[in-house]
Amino acid sequence: MTVEWHAAWQALTHHPLFGVGITLGAYQLAMAAYEKTRWVFLQPVLVSMLTVIGILLACGLTFAEYKDSATALTLFLGPATVALAVPLFVNLRRIRQLFWPTFITLLVAGVVATALGVTLAWAFGAEHIMLMSMAPKSVTSPIAMLVASQIGGIAALAAVFVMITGIIGAIIGPSLLKRLGVQHPAALGMALGLTAHAVGTARALQEGEECGAFAALAMSLMGVFTAVLLPLAILLWL
Amino acid sequence: MLLRGLFWLVLCQLLGTALNVLLIPMLPGPIIGMLLLFAFLLLRGEVGEPLRQASGSLLKYLPLLLVPPAVGVMAYAEAISADFWAIAGALLLSLLLSIAFAGWLMQKLINRQQRRRDA
Repeated sequence: MTVEWHAAWQALTHHPLFGVGITLGAYQLAMAAYEKTRWVFLQPVLVSMLTVIGILLACGLTFAEYKDSATALTLFLGPATVALAVPLFVNLRRIRQLFWPTFITLLVAGVVATALGVTLAWAFGAEHIMLMSMAPKSVTSPIAMLVASQIGGIAALAAVFVMITGIIGAIIGPSLLKRLGVQHPAALGMALGLTAHAVGTARALQEGEECGAFAALAMSLMGVFTAVLLPLAILLWL
Repeated sequence: MLLRGLFWLVLCQLLGTALNVLLIPMLPGPIIGMLLLFAFLLLRGEVGEPLRQASGSLLKYLPLLLVPPAVGVMAYAEAISADFWAIAGALLLSLLLSIAFAGWLMQKLINRQQRRRDA
């Protein structure tokens, strides 16, 4: 009998839908935990990631096998990235008044945020592949992952750096900014969306409508600018 | 409705992929697709209902779609632990400095714009 048990277990864990199954399960658990506690550290992506890794290790599966059986989900990342054009467009129409402050802050602070991360990591002695995975840390993960793999980093690492940056930014950002005398909701929102992307935007929405709108705008524009300019900059620089 | 919107999103991505191979190899296909859709929306001046539905539902589940790539970190555990302190330090320091700088700069620029309007 033991032989058949083993065969059934093998068939289950190597089914082409196994990856989709555990991901869906882990995600719903993570969402439930987050909604119940509203605790910033319980970011759904982070918790689901850890749960899935735990299951894979327990079943003795490699990442390559999981990646194959989760293709049904990852295929939709492309159209989801395209879909970001919609909130970007909606926000852009909303925010005509503060066009120049927004534009200048986006360019200058965006470059500072990206360059600072890479330079500091380089100064601390991190390897090239780490630097390239860290460069897009301030943008929303789908863009960061695409850009990282484009410039010679690791998409998964980029996602982790993005997540860490977002969570810390959302926790510390608002109080740090208020202590520095930044009161305008647009300025608060810009700083949060620009550096801490989606997590920062979610935090900014708690501060109010205007703050949230600017955060969403900063997040989308920072994403587009990074996607367009970062690969170019790396290409010219190396 | 949802399917029609989804069709547009996929179409934009496919066009983006073709352009990526033909003309702009440094930009990922989906990003070119996003720029195409954005240009289309600018021309059209509004977001149609099918597109609103499709993009809304996809973006709602964006965190779920990001789980599989994030799991990839398990394949790089060694690389991360080798550079752990450099990474942690760089992430934290650059985040604090850039968040403060971005907020400060935007506040200054807004103040300046307001002063100019008042004058």
